[in-house]
Amino acid sequence: MPPFGRVLVANRGEIAVRVMKAVKEMGMTAIAVYSEADKYALHVKYADEAYYIGPSPALESYLNIPHIIDAAEKAHADAVHPGYGFLSENADFVEAVEKAGMTYIGPSAEVMRKIKDKLDGKRIAQLSGVPIAPGSDGPVESLDEALKLAEKIGYPIMVKAASGGGGVGITKVDTPDQLIDVWERNKRLAKQAFGRADLYIEKAAVNPRHIEFQLIGDKYGNYVVAWERECTIQRRNQKLIEEAPSPAITMEERSRMFEPIYKYGKLINYFTLGTFETVFSDVTREFYFLELNKRLQVEHPITELIFRIDLVKLQIRLAAGEHLPFTQEELNKRARGAAIEFRINAEDPINNFSGSSGFITYYREPTGPGVRMDSGVTEGSWVPPFYDSLVSKLIVYGEDRQYAIQTAMRALDDYKIGGVKTTIPLYKLIMRDPDFQEGRFSTAYISQKVDSMVKKLKEEEEMMASVAVVLQSRGLLRKKVSAPQEQAKPGSGWKNYGIMMQSSPRVMWG
Amino acid sequence: MKLYRVHSDSGDAFIVAQDQKDNKDRLKTENNEFEIEYVGQGTREGEIILKINGELHRVFLDNGWIILDNAKIFRAERVTELPTQEGQTLDEMIKGKEGEVISPLQGRVVQVRVKEGDAVNKGQPLLSIEAMKSETIVSAPISGLVEKILVKAGQGVKKGDILIVIK
Repeated sequence: MPPFGRVLVANRGEIAVRVMKAVKEMGMTAIAVYSEADKYALHVKYADEAYYIGPSPALESYLNIPHIIDAAEKAHADAVHPGYGFLSENADFVEAVEKAGMTYIGPSAEVMRKIKDKLDGKRIAQLSGVPIAPGSDGPVESLDEALKLAEKIGYPIMVKAASGGGGVGITKVDTPDQLIDVWERNKRLAKQAFGRADLYIEKAAVNPRHIEFQLIGDKYGNYVVAWERECTIQRRNQKLIEEAPSPAITMEERSRMFEPIYKYGKLINYFTLGTFETVFSDVTREFYFLELNKRLQVEHPITELIFRIDLVKLQIRLAAGEHLPFTQEELNKRARGAAIEFRINAEDPINNFSGSSGFITYYREPTGPGVRMDSGVTEGSWVPPFYDSLVSKLIVYGEDRQYAIQTAMRALDDYKIGGVKTTIPLYKLIMRDPDFQEGRFSTAYISQKVDSMVKKLKEEEEMMASVAVVLQSRGLLRKKVSAPQEQAKPGSGWKNYGIMMQSSPRVMWG
Repeated sequence: MKLYRVHSDSGDAFIVAQDQKDNKDRLKTENNEFEIEYVGQGTREGEIILKINGELHRVFLDNGWIILDNAKIFRAERVTELPTQEGQTLDEMIKGKEGEVISPLQGRVVQVRVKEGDAVNKGQPLLSIEAMKSETIVSAPISGLVEKILVKAGQGVKKGDILIVIK
């Protein structure tokens, strides 16, 4: 028996398609919502049913709680899956779904409200024995206090907005002068962006790694940790490449984190999927807690591949009140191989990752052993400028990390997208970089390598333009290639001749 | 020698100078030089073999898309030959004359901050171009007087278009 009958997916693009695949496999009806810009989008076509929720800007559609609840009621949905981004960590949305008599696939509103901002998260982390970066215990009241504290813990420090998220509202500060500069400006920005001006400071780790742990819990206080994901390859605090397991940590270091994470979950009665984000220092070999993400992560497929489990189905079952189907020990035994995920963004790496919207006019997906595609687009799709630039995810799996990289190189070559610029050419270079292959990198990797890689990408583009000139000047560029069907035509057509003559009126009446 | 402008499908423009000798072409672009030899037809239907800087590469054409080694794709929407002017050096032809401010990307002009006749310093912001909600500020490459402004606010521009001339 499927746990629900009809599930509405309150999201778009790649993740909506991914969730609907799980919904369909479980024998339930998949219901999509769409904005004006997504009328012809893949996730709308893929769904069993779809409902219009408003104009293109996200605030009027995918972030519009009343419209989504209306659609869910019209569709008679039993459950709502939020995906990631948009309303996935919005306690008001959870409450609205619960009030409408539907099940929210994720933690309850009550649990979400327990960790309203990053400072609450830090406090609970301290209670459960997870190391946190040295810094202020609560919001810092004044600039004087900030300067004093910064002196005590030592520069460089991070100035963060207590209610920020998604890499927004974080500034690295190296000197007291810079702190004076940044303080008032960040306060104003935080007030504008998040409605609260509270700032706090903590010590900045030097060239850290970004490692996150997957927490899975049921409603009865049972928890497991599905190991970690290494998300160190980032630019401007946005992840680009993720892998599991991390090439940097040992089983002993990993399992040291399990107990504190269970304890964290128990303290707030957390259930379904949660992600425990930490920074890991290669020098101190310590994990410093950053925040708990209360949703399915973009990079969940790499965990799915190494454990051969379906996290979305599991999330739906846990939300329906089922028990955890495995223990930590059983889960540890399931881990095999290595997986790498590439976020295919419609962005131009040459022009400082500026977004590239438009129609996808050429599209060939990689397939074959060790390749998984989670895509929200196809040939002819429009990449609208209103939302996130993530169009699809390429996930590769190998018996070990080296094999996974080999599969990645092949699959990235096979993946061809035309019409919009993507990050694929950049990933091809990263896969061939010895530093990446040997696992030597920090969150500064992209900013350190970007200049030399952009130079290579420019050379490639100019080479292709030169090839176009060479072909054009020899009349080869516009040459019609005869279609295979035309060649397959039989020469004489003797068999059809009689039938054709008989069916012609000239023969019958003439 | 011939000069071409290649417009790609995503709105980029490349200036390529071509020097053709038998089967070998010497090509010069903004930052690079290539030697491309047309070797001939391959053993597969529609296969073209090129030697780029001494290395063999295989090209197929799929619906106007150039597919190199079954891995890189490129589409030239238009390849136009440009008139070459007497007395102009190759670098000038490719990079534009000194003082010509060229759009670095495809987008829409948001605001022009200078007027014709203004004196500008090197590095001073001239105008901003918006593409997908992020603004790029174009600043003056040299100090001088603004001789001509060829765009106005709200106008769409392509990469490689001349925006402003400074003298």
